[in-house]
Amino acid sequence: MDLLLQLMMNGLVNGSHYALLGIGFGLIFATTKLVHFAYGPIYAATAYVCWYSFMQLGLPFWAAFGLCVIAAIVLGLLSYLIVYRPLQSRSDSGLVTLIASLGLYTVIENLLGVIFGTGVKSVQGIDSDVFFLGPVFVTSFQLMQIAALILVGGALALFLRFTRYGQAIMAMTDNAEMAQIVGIDTRFVALLVFAIGSAIAAVPAVLILLKDSAGTHMGFSAVFLAFLSVVVGGIGSLRGAVAGGFLIGFVESAGLWQISTDWQSSIAFIILFLMLMLRPDGLFGVKR
Amino acid sequence: MEYVMHILVMVCMYAVLAISFNLLIGFAGLFALSQAVFFAIGAYATGLAAVAGLPFPMPEILAVLIGGIVGVLIALPALRTRGDYLVIVTLALQIVVLQVILNWKSLTGGTEGVRGIPGLSFFGVALSDPSHFLIYAAIVTALVFVFAWKVGHSPFGRAMKAMRENESAAQAVGKNLLYLKVSTFAVSAALAALAGSMFARYYNYVSVDSFSINETIYILAMVIVGGIGNLWGSVIGAAVLVALPELLKFLDMPTDIADQMRLVIYGVILILVLRFRPQGILPEPRGALHDGEETASAGGNASSLVVGDGSSKGEIVVDAKGLVKRFGGITAVSGFDIEMRAGQITGLIGPNGAGKTTAFNMLTGFLQPNEGSITLRGNSLLGLKPHRIVGAGVARSFQDLRLFRNMTVLDNVLVSLPDQAGDDLGQVFLRPAKVSRQEHENLARAMEVLRFVELDGKANETVNALSYAEEKLLVIARLLATGAEVMLFDEPLSGLDPTTLAEILPVIRKLADNGKVVCIIEHNLDVIKELSDVVYFLDEGRAMAVGTPEQVMTDPELAARYFK
Repeated sequence: MDLLLQLMMNGLVNGSHYALLGIGFGLIFATTKLVHFAYGPIYAATAYVCWYSFMQLGLPFWAAFGLCVIAAIVLGLLSYLIVYRPLQSRSDSGLVTLIASLGLYTVIENLLGVIFGTGVKSVQGIDSDVFFLGPVFVTSFQLMQIAALILVGGALALFLRFTRYGQAIMAMTDNAEMAQIVGIDTRFVALLVFAIGSAIAAVPAVLILLKDSAGTHMGFSAVFLAFLSVVVGGIGSLRGAVAGGFLIGFVESAGLWQISTDWQSSIAFIILFLMLMLRPDGLFGVKR
Repeated sequence: MEYVMHILVMVCMYAVLAISFNLLIGFAGLFALSQAVFFAIGAYATGLAAVAGLPFPMPEILAVLIGGIVGVLIALPALRTRGDYLVIVTLALQIVVLQVILNWKSLTGGTEGVRGIPGLSFFGVALSDPSHFLIYAAIVTALVFVFAWKVGHSPFGRAMKAMRENESAAQAVGKNLLYLKVSTFAVSAALAALAGSMFARYYNYVSVDSFSINETIYILAMVIVGGIGNLWGSVIGAAVLVALPELLKFLDMPTDIADQMRLVIYGVILILVLRFRPQGILPEPRGALHDGEETASAGGNASSLVVGDGSSKGEIVVDAKGLVKRFGGITAVSGFDIEMRAGQITGLIGPNGAGKTTAFNMLTGFLQPNEGSITLRGNSLLGLKPHRIVGAGVARSFQDLRLFRNMTVLDNVLVSLPDQAGDDLGQVFLRPAKVSRQEHENLARAMEVLRFVELDGKANETVNALSYAEEKLLVIARLLATGAEVMLFDEPLSGLDPTTLAEILPVIRKLADNGKVVCIIEHNLDVIKELSDVVYFLDEGRAMAVGTPEQVMTDPELAARYFK
């Protein structure tokens, strides 16, 4: 029983992490219809920038965090402006931009290795506290992962609901052509979601850097799980991305109760497979 | 010299991979990101079988078979999902298969990999160095190329491209999507597995590191750079992307950095090609060309396509009763009856949302009715897939045309012709003479159809070069080519100017006069008056009135509702 509670706590923590990744990726995906694979290496790059600013340049941690958010935004905007936007006018743009995003994925991931070296980077000097909630233990970094989802997700939800730009994003998510007709500057909105979505990626990246470490390959599983959360939850729904992230987190943890850790990502795949067979539009998907 | 030979062996191996991937994504438009998985499966199967002592070519055959079977398994989700979903499913599969290989230590050696795989030797000569292995690699590559060429340039290959251009339109001309997808995946996976077996024999060592997602992207880059849908392009793409990064060797760089620079270069090249030369180095070939000669000799037997089944005029051919279709809470069609008679043109009119297109979708198997019956000469069509219904003799066109846009006018018609032996991959290889004889005849039939709609002068143009009116004519030609006795036209004439209308109307009239059963959905009442023998007025999912055009249009209630 204690083990199960502990696994549920881990599921909650990992689920929050996946949900946060899913929100950032899903915001870009739902609004621009771009499968932004480079989201993964950009996520990894922010962890590297944070590590470099803090460990090598000796900046205070808040400054290092600020810098890495800026780096994420810049990389996100450049991806859109240099790679995606010129290709979007083409008739077969869905496939072409997808292939381009895979190219961009390779470029950024390997440039990280060229610039920073392939070794694993970790942060020293910031330690976590361990708390016991009854029989369940949890670290302060893990609590921060849960808190990050609540703060970032909540702020994003308020932004989307109550601001003009948030409404513009929602309109474009619903129907980009119609949004353009009613006078929304869809190019600006696309830039906006790339900026916001990329900035969101910096938060889970830094938390993983603190909790574990950063490596050049961390981007693949990040973008894969983000994509998975979105697909499981239903494309076009942020609520769905959060639900999808938690579902994956909990099922993974529950699976670990009986199955060896070696098979962790296979569990996620099996969820996906069942989802697609049973509910092709996701948990909260809009039937298209 | 050995170094150059090694590069050439790599070019051969990657050419096979690029060709296999091109069949899947370039020809069939199935964008699955799991090619490295088939590559890995081939390498492991060959390695393990050879280590176990099986003699050449047993490990190779085993690799190809297992690769093909895994390909079929992956095709299953591809039957339900497309686009972004297929990408994520196949990506997930990539992860799972690598994890299985890594964790099934008793079989695969886990992270250790499979070591000591016996190399190849023929006539007492061991192919242990690159220059000897190159001979074997070149022969295998040539065989794969010829095989892929046969597949890609057969009627089967044409059907693959039609599916790529538009799945529902491919079904509507009688193509079996299930068969196409499953066999394309099987062939593509088997060829990639063969490349894997070359890998195992060449390096004598297989480990899971060689088959990551980066490998799939690398192969993808070769296909894109070389030219999507062009097999020579895949060979050139492989050569360019294998050779180019070797230039890095001349720079003084640590090997791990050089490895990563290599991948950066691939990524940059991929993006640049997409941006500035999206068709790749070699663009897709145009497909079958009409050289204006064979029709003179082989023409004449195509007229069957434009003539009905010889049923007596007025006989009921299609009879649908009590059709009901509900979408969730909305009832789109509620209790619709329709009869279609030989030699007659039946018109369907009614306001938008009346259920006209939904009725067509049910008649042609694209939707299954919730209630009701549909019979063709007394045989039920319920539950049949669209391609089976086309085969039985009922075909339809789409309001939004759905032409195969990147194919030629001639190919649009050729692919629609019925009963092609070459649609069956087995026949392409086992009965090549029959397939090529049929192909010759079909070329003549296709030209006959194009002459009927007066598009023969445009046979070698792609659809993109046609005017809107010509596209509409091609829609009719494609429907004609299916040889179906019953032809359902969904707004074939909308958006045409009066002059063009005057050209197309007699074409449709001629079909009915030739004994075909014609049904058209149309908003232009002048057209309906001129063409139809019987008119069904649909509203709220039911036939509100049936009769001659005059009867229906003078009905006072309908006039109030619709005719103003």
